[in-house]
Amino acid sequence: METLDKTKWDVVIVGTGLQQSLLALALSRSGKKILHIDENKYYGGAEAALALQEAEEWAQHVDTGSATFSNAAVTTPELSQSGSGQSLASARAYSIEFSPQLLYARSSLLQYLVSSKVYRQLEFLAVGSFWVYSKDTSDAGDASSPSTAEQSSRLGQLLKVPSGREDVFQDQVLDFKAKRALMKFLRFIAEYEEHTEEWEEHKENPFSVFLTEKFRVPAALQAPLLALTLSPSGTAETSTTYALPRVARHLRSIGVFGPGFGAVQAKWGGMSEVVQVACRSCAVGGGVYVLGKGLSNPGVSASEDSDMVTLRLKDGETISTKWVVEEGNEVSSGPSQLCRSITVVSSPLAQLLPPLAEEAPSPASAVVVFPSGSLPLRPEDAKEHGAELPPVHILVFSSDTGECPAGQSILYASTSLPGDRGFQLLSMAVDALLSSVKESPSPAALWSLRYEHGSDSSDDTVSQPPNHVLRFARPSLDLAFDDSALDRVKDVWQRIVGAGTDEFLVFEDREPVGDEDE
Amino acid sequence: MADSGAAAPKPSSSVKLVLLGEAAVGKSSLVMRFVNNDFQENKEPTIGAAFLTQKCNLPTRTIKFEIWDTAGQERFASLAPMYYRNAQAALVVYDITKPSSLTKAQHWVAELHRQASPGIVIALVGNKADLAAEAAAGDELGDDATEDTDAAPGAEGEEDADADNADQRRVATKTAKAYAEEEGLLFFETSAKTGKNVAEVFTAIANAIPEASLKGPRGAAGGQSSLGRQEDARVNLGSVRPEGAKEGCAC
Ligand SMILES: Nc1nc2c(ncn2[C@@H]2O[C@H](COP(=O)(O)OP(=O)(O)O)[C@@H](O)[C@H]2O)c(=O)[nH]1
Ligand SMILES: [Mg+2]
Repeated sequence: METLDKTKWDVVIVGTGLQQSLLALALSRSGKKILHIDENKYYGGAEAALALQEAEEWAQHVDTGSATFSNAAVTTPELSQSGSGQSLASARAYSIEFSPQLLYARSSLLQYLVSSKVYRQLEFLAVGSFWVYSKDTSDAGDASSPSTAEQSSRLGQLLKVPSGREDVFQDQVLDFKAKRALMKFLRFIAEYEEHTEEWEEHKENPFSVFLTEKFRVPAALQAPLLALTLSPSGTAETSTTYALPRVARHLRSIGVFGPGFGAVQAKWGGMSEVVQVACRSCAVGGGVYVLGKGLSNPGVSASEDSDMVTLRLKDGETISTKWVVEEGNEVSSGPSQLCRSITVVSSPLAQLLPPLAEEAPSPASAVVVFPSGSLPLRPEDAKEHGAELPPVHILVFSSDTGECPAGQSILYASTSLPGDRGFQLLSMAVDALLSSVKESPSPAALWSLRYEHGSDSSDDTVSQPPNHVLRFARPSLDLAFDDSALDRVKDVWQRIVGAGTDEFLVFEDREPVGDEDE
Repeated sequence: MADSGAAAPKPSSSVKLVLLGEAAVGKSSLVMRFVNNDFQENKEPTIGAAFLTQKCNLPTRTIKFEIWDTAGQERFASLAPMYYRNAQAALVVYDITKPSSLTKAQHWVAELHRQASPGIVIALVGNKADLAAEAAAGDELGDDATEDTDAAPGAEGEEDADADNADQRRVATKTAKAYAEEEGLLFFETSAKTGKNVAEVFTAIANAIPEASLKGPRGAAGGQSSLGRQEDARVNLGSVRPEGAKEGCAC
């Protein structure tokens, strides 16, 4: 292989996570000499998507090799051989995401993917219905013979969240009073920014308290509204200031790209696909890519040439560059973490993916929320007694996502409860989901992986002496893509290109485009 | 034949096709010939033209190729994974005047079999066929390479095929063809310069993409690869609905 040390690089980007890859995209037409390396043999860093056997290898090594992931373990349940559809397909028929995220329609990421033209190389799919699990079955009626009207909005102990005003009106489960309270809240949230007086005093109060006191929203309707926040915290810790913009984002996104849905995801592996096209664009612009190359530790030192930084790679090679951009702030690895599990299921779980609306694209996924306290995990000790457990979120991905073969689906579950109890809570949620779907043969788990996923407590970009060494904070664990990542990328991009006239991530098509987008 | 002609109401599917092979074997030239029917002698290895689309009309359906050319970066191999991920077809190219390029091509084939999507259609292509002596002498390549295609009419430009030069072929058709058969690959010898067999390669690939993997409702495909690109699930980011978009996003 050729060596890298002869070149004087302008920018060396270490790691191919989403932020570094978007930076590479942003610099792809800057004329700078860019070297983009990753110590892994795959692209994507924490946002990677891997085939099953690669994911298994990842699980074996990740505990030692990474500050971001820990406690990884794979389980392959023993199955009663009951014929086709019940077994795993070839490992490469899967693409397992480590940080699955929804992208709301108004996310600046989508805007930049369009302005930089790389969206043409991606395929976006609609995120479908939100469902809320209720431990309370008493009002569920006779589950064995639901009326046809209820059938679509109730599935075992799962209730579908109405996706808009019309849905609320047509809902057969809600009574008139509840509907009126909800409509009043929906009118408020449409313009909540202009009506600070209505919620100012509740700012730090739990969102549920605000809903009760201000709008008399009955308890049963608070769970679906909380579900829309995708808050990893328990009900009591989810404040009104946190919740309002998130519920508003959800509602305002619906209809932007088509009827009945407000969020999208990239086919074939979510953010890992965005990473691929971003890196590719940088390569097309002349950037050099090398996998399996990492920095040694410590790897950065000042060079005698004061404008340059010397980097030492793990294989001993030394290279020199003006700028180095890394990710991960090892100093302040903070308390922010999630327990995650990924389960390949032997059923398409089609009942969770009803059509969204007329003329709407078919949904590729669904979101199932298990509110705080809805699962029967016992308190561990006296101290925990009475304290509520955080919710569990499960993203249900159909084979339309390109992440699993037809006839199967993938459940991406997460909770902020740490450690073994977190994993216990996740498996309760997965079981509850599978038993809510009345199918025969009943859906089975074919493969699963669990791990803990950590992030940095501060999201500041750190700049270290020598001044041309920059470190992105590790990406947030939010289940909906957090636009602040783009602010960080823009900031680093600006430092590197300096003050100029270029617009951030605005490019012309490199090739003439024909009759695209019919 | 490929053309970007009028839209017939035939089912249409996108197929991601990647090009792999040693630098300078003619990958970019093959794409330029296919997409623009153009060839540039001694052009600099481009960095740039790396994502192109071209339609291929078959009797019963239209295939829209999304062609991912490598970006003049073959030397570090690290680019490859992001090119062939989710590809439904691959063109692995060697240069018939350079035996080492066939060895390299064989590495790519092995890599694709190991890492790419199951069911990927691979074509092995020996390019620069115009530099072989028989290219000037007669048109045997088409017959040799494609049993059931009509032999391509003598392409224009054959007169510059260095008829008076020594035969530059260093890879026998037989050798490469036997290898291709063993590995279950489509096989062609082409010339991006004369245009010989170029469209034929793409048409053969289009025909070889299993219909089942292209469409069908969820769960109906049955096959284990979920390569089918379902147009009914696709969200078009280029078209923000005005009633939804009050501010901010896209466009
Ligand atoms: N004689 C001949 N030359 C070719 C042919 N295809 C490409 N070339 C030349 O080979 C060189 C490399 O071609 P290019 O398409 O850039 O190769 P790539 O690096 O694989 O993309 C250029 O000088 C082309 O003009 C061919 O079919 N016949
Ligand atoms: Mg090329």
